[in-house]
Amino acid sequence: MKIHVNDVPLDVAPGTSVIDAVFAAGYDVPYFCSQEYMSPIGACRMCLARVGAPRKDRATGEWILDEATGDAKIFWFPNPMATCTTQVMEGMVVDTLSKEVKRAQNGMVEFTLVNHPLDCPTCDKGGACELQDRAYEYGTGESRFVFDKRHQEKHHALSEAITLDRERCIHCKRCVRYFEEVPGDEVLDFIERGGHTYIGTLEDGLPSPFSGNITDICPVGALLDSTSRFRGRNWEYHHTDTTSLDDPSGAALRIDARTGRIERIKAGLNDEVNKTWIDDGTRFGHEYADHADRITLPMVRKDGRLEPVAWSEAMRVVRDKLGGVDGTKVGVAIRADATLEEGVAAQALAAHLGTGRLDHAPRPAASVLPGGAPATLRDVATSDGLLVLGDPTHEAAIVDLRIKDALKGVPPADLLPHGVPIADLRLTERMPRKTEILTVVAPYRTDLMKHAGRTVTPPAGGEGALLRALLALAHARTEAQGASDPGKAADAALAGWDDAVGMSAADAAALLDALAAAEAPVLIWGGFVSADPDADAAARALATAVGAKTLILGPMANAAGLERIGVLPSHERYAYDPASSEVRAWILGDLDPAQDPTVAKRFADLDALIVHAAFENATTALADVVLPAVTGYEKEGSTLNAEGRLLPVRAAPVEAGAATDFTGVVKAYGEAAGERLEGRSVRSARRVLKKRLDVDLAELPDDGRLLPPAPAAARGARALPARRAATGSALVVPSLVRIEHLDRNPTLLREHGGPTLRMHPSDAHAHGLTRGEVVTVPVGGIPRRLVVAPDDGVPEGTWLVPTLPDQPVGLHPLDLDALRRERGETAEVA
Amino acid sequence: MSGAVTDTVDRITSRRDPRFEVTLYAYVGVEGAHTLDAYLERGGYDAARRALAMEPGEVVDLVKASGLRGRGGAGFPAGVKWSFMPPPDGRDRYVVCNADESEPGSCKDRYLMEDDPHQLIEGMMIAGHAIQATTGVIYVRGEYHHAYERLRAAMEEARARGILGRGVLGTDVDFDLILHRGAGAYICGEETALMNSFEGLRANPRLKPPFPAQAGVYGRPTTINNVTTLASVVHVVAKGADWFAAMGTDDSKGIHHAQVSGAVARPGVFEVPLGITYREIIHDLAGGPVGPAKAFIPGGTSCPLLPFDDAHLDLPMEYAAMANAGTMMGTGGVIVIPQDQCIVDAMYNVVRFYAHESCGKCTPCREGVATWLPKMYQKLLAGLGTPEDVDLIEDMVKNLRGTAFCPLADAAAWPVQKSLELFRDEYEYLAHHGTPMYPAKDRWSA
Ligand SMILES: Cc1cc2nc3c(=O)[nH]c(=O)nc-3n(C[C@H](O)[C@H](O)[C@H](O)COP(=O)(O)O)c2cc1C
Ligand code: SF4
Ligand code: FES
Repeated sequence: MKIHVNDVPLDVAPGTSVIDAVFAAGYDVPYFCSQEYMSPIGACRMCLARVGAPRKDRATGEWILDEATGDAKIFWFPNPMATCTTQVMEGMVVDTLSKEVKRAQNGMVEFTLVNHPLDCPTCDKGGACELQDRAYEYGTGESRFVFDKRHQEKHHALSEAITLDRERCIHCKRCVRYFEEVPGDEVLDFIERGGHTYIGTLEDGLPSPFSGNITDICPVGALLDSTSRFRGRNWEYHHTDTTSLDDPSGAALRIDARTGRIERIKAGLNDEVNKTWIDDGTRFGHEYADHADRITLPMVRKDGRLEPVAWSEAMRVVRDKLGGVDGTKVGVAIRADATLEEGVAAQALAAHLGTGRLDHAPRPAASVLPGGAPATLRDVATSDGLLVLGDPTHEAAIVDLRIKDALKGVPPADLLPHGVPIADLRLTERMPRKTEILTVVAPYRTDLMKHAGRTVTPPAGGEGALLRALLALAHARTEAQGASDPGKAADAALAGWDDAVGMSAADAAALLDALAAAEAPVLIWGGFVSADPDADAAARALATAVGAKTLILGPMANAAGLERIGVLPSHERYAYDPASSEVRAWILGDLDPAQDPTVAKRFADLDALIVHAAFENATTALADVVLPAVTGYEKEGSTLNAEGRLLPVRAAPVEAGAATDFTGVVKAYGEAAGERLEGRSVRSARRVLKKRLDVDLAELPDDGRLLPPAPAAARGARALPARRAATGSALVVPSLVRIEHLDRNPTLLREHGGPTLRMHPSDAHAHGLTRGEVVTVPVGGIPRRLVVAPDDGVPEGTWLVPTLPDQPVGLHPLDLDALRRERGETAEVA
Repeated sequence: MSGAVTDTVDRITSRRDPRFEVTLYAYVGVEGAHTLDAYLERGGYDAARRALAMEPGEVVDLVKASGLRGRGGAGFPAGVKWSFMPPPDGRDRYVVCNADESEPGSCKDRYLMEDDPHQLIEGMMIAGHAIQATTGVIYVRGEYHHAYERLRAAMEEARARGILGRGVLGTDVDFDLILHRGAGAYICGEETALMNSFEGLRANPRLKPPFPAQAGVYGRPTTINNVTTLASVVHVVAKGADWFAAMGTDDSKGIHHAQVSGAVARPGVFEVPLGITYREIIHDLAGGPVGPAKAFIPGGTSCPLLPFDDAHLDLPMEYAAMANAGTMMGTGGVIVIPQDQCIVDAMYNVVRFYAHESCGKCTPCREGVATWLPKMYQKLLAGLGTPEDVDLIEDMVKNLRGTAFCPLADAAAWPVQKSLELFRDEYEYLAHHGTPMYPAKDRWSA
């Protein structure tokens, strides 16, 4: 469509909003209520402009011409128009510069400021406030409002993590719309009306795992992240644009640090991945990085006690200790959220030591690399048939949001010259959601099930049986199509169906019909399927059978990447097993296996235990050498997210003493051993990765780059022999809040409550357990301290426990006889 | 029966015309007229029977031909609105009756519902058939408790006799009604806020487009009309489009209701042919002003006032004539303002109303209408104002005109603007002297 913005002629797509046309033309229009990725609502009236358009003569169908010029005559709308809610029309003329427009803008800034307090000097948003900027640019600089401003609560805790200053709110409704439109959790609304209108909740805070995003989109300082309130001015923060290592989503983050400390984490923009959203675990879960008991110096055990030493000395001890051990008896394991560069370093170290006992952990029994057709997050967001096995909200939170995008049925908008459209008119408030396209399968009631048209609850560990049954049915139905009487053959295919897999035959048939009918079906699965090689094989076969792309959610941020580059044992016999009696020395990166007393016992007589860790734990307590590790916020490197996108990880300036990443460990070791090992630095690791992946990771753009799937042959060579599925009555479930850091994340702990032991109320009753009671119970050998939380969304006989890096998702034995009540201790249960 | 009237010479435009007869209000005030028996006795539901025997499209054409325009204020042609409904797709569609009548000065719908509820039900059935909706919603103002009770009883009667429900009046057409009470917000009269409120959401107006015909109640195609509009349809069907179109003017056909209040001898609701002059309404029907009058509001408080002079009294009650005079015919609520009523005080009363009713969704209305404007009036009336304050009010209402999300802000700003145009001297007197030109009377304590 051809239009004019002021003097600039422009060709824009039909359906574009006038505000986007104005920005595309290189002009500016102030706005408050519009927000990328959300519906335009026309509430703030700040984006007014004069708009006109030619008209066609009703009778002749010809443009009405201006007699003086002979051009199409422009009919101006009588009132200024909100450009965010007006669509472009052929021949439209937009004026954003005239005196009339200026007057409307001045007027609107004045109205907006009527009730807005002048506390900018003490406001955390000062210097980064949309209202401040707009008032400066588009206001008159004077107030004619001489009355008392509205007085409302200035420190209202909407939740433990978010503080609302009701006086500052300018009622743009971004926050209210956000909850309904993005996570679909309607937990916030306006209360009262007219000049008394304010933002509020029901009594239980903001029960949504994505609440923190409202602090990013609030145009003023009304909604603030409580972890950073009053901790710094915007211009004092050092911004680091990086990628979250919290889960395999690969969400873009902006870390704001000041004087060597992370003050807050905000969502970064990655249109292909997280758009501008992150989950609360990622946002608020950073306080641990600044905790006083960070390990900042290497330590060496002397006379039974760990003593701080210099890196060089620590490394001499390491070298000497390892020198006495048969190289094949050394195990090297790094955590599955290590960067690719750290993976290369670990590989180089293992190669140098001559051991095949290299691994990353947690690593599920089955591969987390998709076979055939991998699905991108864009594929998820545009899918019309989604089968989800697992709990994506907690496994890879952004996947949850992209699934919800798909329910709206509005494909991602094309980027405009100024980026993401400011007002995408295809989005509306309270859009009907196509829940029928979503099927969620999980052994307990998950958050995502609220949004699913079909939910299936197989018995815990029963994913394999269900998938095999579905696969058999899919095959039988395909065969039935060729039969002489297809109807009868189809019925016969259903006849052997066993409802015990978690769904009825009719439901199963309807699910397969829906997937078959979908143009772009996607199968998503996570840890429950990957824990069982049979389930994994059936899921892959089912995806092929129904022509679906696949997305696999690995246990931690870079599980896919580390598997892809082969941070793996030379033989499955050498898979990471801290309880193994064959290993005489361990080098562990960020793992704490000694939480399990059996492992601790074994570790007591190792020849060498070298631990790279950020905090002291059960394993460092036994270590010979402890090396200070940086957290995921302080690393330089790269990661591969679940969809196979390489993403940059950058280091925020955090004061962490002599801590390094794993490449630093290898560098120091190499120096002590007189060897220049590959992976001794990020740069050196990237040289290796460039050869292997054909990507220069130093040049990775902020929004990353999709890595083509590994050629089948290469995968075959590295194919992992499947490990067996575990059994037990504790189902370790994914958790969007990282439990291992929770004790050192006070805000998140208050908001989320402690780690829970969830069971059906009847099981709680049978064991005399009451809500909020704190218990310690051995789960898979590890004594877990948990808060009792009866939940009727948990099937009887199954006990849910949140995962730890050292306790992967899946079934584990639960020793209820050894359950110990922590007398008198209770906790809030979120 | 159908077909537009082309002869405009002989239109009925006065209540004195012997051909004029009261129809919609014929049974208002008549004891016992509200029951189903009484309604049937006077030929009730015959029009519905006739309409149900017609094709839906024919009913739409008939209403189009009658020239009936919406009586909720905006005056959109009813038949044209009905024709916007998309073809049926087998899923729900709604006809909604806007019975939230809250505009100060308006009360025509109230008596229709209280004394002749079946007339409205019949109108909704006809409209429902025309747009092929099987569900009707009556959203009745919360304070109209009596109307609510009467409607509820009438619906029960109608259901018990097969007039509402499955196969109404023995046909194969299904139609039933939902009666919904508001909770006391003027904004719920705005059609999309009404739908939000009905759905249990916050009563904020919705963005248009999509218009109700595309996505209304629960996102489904919906037609919404005022009580009087729907009741008029009954008579359009019963007596023909020609009969209806024979009354009024070219621009505004048919009947309307002048609801006269203020300083007149006989306030009340008068059914009138459109095109009737305000002189006839105020002087003949309402008995004239009780003392010298200086202004009148022609259609409810959202309509700017007009000077009480010959030129304006002789204007016809008509959409176009009122628009030309810089005001609106609105709902037909005529308010006469006496000479000794301080205009600043009178306008404060209007402003105060809209300030209280602003929904808070958009900035100009929330901060201007609901917050700043009433404070300016309070300042003036407290004797603390300055001449600059009068200029400020004028400037502020300019910023409010046409900038808000919905017409509510205009409903406050426009009358203020007009009052400044006509009676700026009174504002300035007050600003200079600190006391009004006409001392305030004890209006509030009444
Ligand atoms: C602020 C506001 C209040 C309104 N209140 C009413 C009302 O109380 N009753 C009514 O019928 N229409 C009211 N309207 C008009 C309705 O939005 C709508 O135009 C009308 O119900 C349509 O019916 P009609 O075409 O039959 O007039 C109001 C409009 C606005 C903007
Ligand atoms: S709290 Fe912030 S985001 Fe929410 S309505 Fe107010 S100004 Fe907008
Ligand atoms: S009205 Fe708020 S951005 Fe347009």
